[in-house]
Amino acid sequence: MNPHELERLLLLEQSGELAPRQRRALDAELAASETARRLRDRLRAWTAAVPPPAAAPAPDAAARIAARLRPPPRPAAWIFRPVWKPALAAAAALALFLGVRSFRPAPIAAPIETAVNATASADEVWTDPLDAEFTELENLLLAISTDDSLNVTKL
Amino acid sequence: MECDDARLLAAYRDGDAEALGRLVEKYKRPLFAFLSRFAANPGEADEWFQETWVRAIENMNFFRQRHLIGWLFRIAHNLAVDAVRRRKPDCSLDAPQPASGEPLVERIPAAMLAPDAEVAGRDLGQHIAAAAARLPVEQREVFWLRMDAGLPFKEIARIQRTSVNTALGRMQYALAKLRADLAPAYRELQGNAP
Repeated sequence: MNPHELERLLLLEQSGELAPRQRRALDAELAASETARRLRDRLRAWTAAVPPPAAAPAPDAAARIAARLRPPPRPAAWIFRPVWKPALAAAAALALFLGVRSFRPAPIAAPIETAVNATASADEVWTDPLDAEFTELENLLLAISTDDSLNVTKL
Repeated sequence: MECDDARLLAAYRDGDAEALGRLVEKYKRPLFAFLSRFAANPGEADEWFQETWVRAIENMNFFRQRHLIGWLFRIAHNLAVDAVRRRKPDCSLDAPQPASGEPLVERIPAAMLAPDAEVAGRDLGQHIAAAAARLPVEQREVFWLRMDAGLPFKEIARIQRTSVNTALGRMQYALAKLRADLAPAYRELQGNAP
C-alpha cells in the first residue's frame, strides 16, 4: 500500500468511516508494516495538537436569534384543526344539497284530460323519479362524512 | 435528522421558544468555532452565527438533509466562503481596521510574524492554526470541519457539494501543506510520537 492510500485509510479510520474491506486492508497493513504504524501515530499526534476552539458565541446569542426570527406560529385554533375538516366539508356539502333540493321548481298543473286520466287510475301513486337519486346521493354524503379513512377535504 | 433535533424543532414551531435555545446551545461550539476560523474578528463570527441560525430556521421547509448539523454547516459554509471571496486581498497590513482600529498586522497569529516573534510562540497549536489560515478556502474548510466540528468526510462532502474522495483529497493536500509549512515543528512531533 502506498503512503497516500495509507493516509487516506487512516483519515477514514479517524472519522469512523472505514468500510469493512478497507478495515481489513488497513489492519493487515498495520500488522505488517512498522512504517504504517508510525504514520498512524504521527497522524494521531498531529490531530491532538490542533488547538481546540477558544471562542464561544455571545451568551445571549439564542435570545438575539429568537428576536431576529419571526415569532413561531401559534397553535391553530381547534375549529381549524384537521380533525374537524372532514366533518365541516360534509356538512357544507349536505347544506348545498338540501339548498338545491328546496329550490326545485313546483310541478306544473296538469291539463284537464290528464287529470281525468289520473283520476281513472287513482290507485296509482305518482312518484318523483329524482327522489331516488337524491336519496342515494344523500346516503353517499353521509357515508363519506362518517368514513375517517377518506380525506373529504380533497373532494 | 436526529430524533431529538426533530422534536425540538417541532416544539419551536408549536410556539415553544425555549426549544430554539436548547438547539442553539447544543450546536454552538462546533458551529461558532468553524465560523471563527473564517471571520475577520469575533464580532463578525458572532454575526455569522446568528445569521446561520436565522437562515436555517426560516428555510427549514427546504431542509432535506438527515442531520441538522449538516444543514447548519451548509449555511455556515455559504456565509464563510462568500465572505472570504469578497474580502479584499490587497489591504495594507498597517492600515487600521474599521472594527477595532488596530492595524491588521496586530491580528496575525505568531507563525505569520517575523522569526523572533515566531520563536516566542512555542505553542504548536497556534502554529497549526496560523498555517491553516493560509490554506486555500476549500482545503481550510475541510480541515476545520474535520478537526473542529468532527464531521465525517461524507457529511463534509455533502456540505461542499462534492464527492467523499474530493473531500479526502482536500484534507490530504491540507495536511501536506501544513507539514511543509511547519516542517521543524512537525519533525519535533515525529520525534515525540510513540
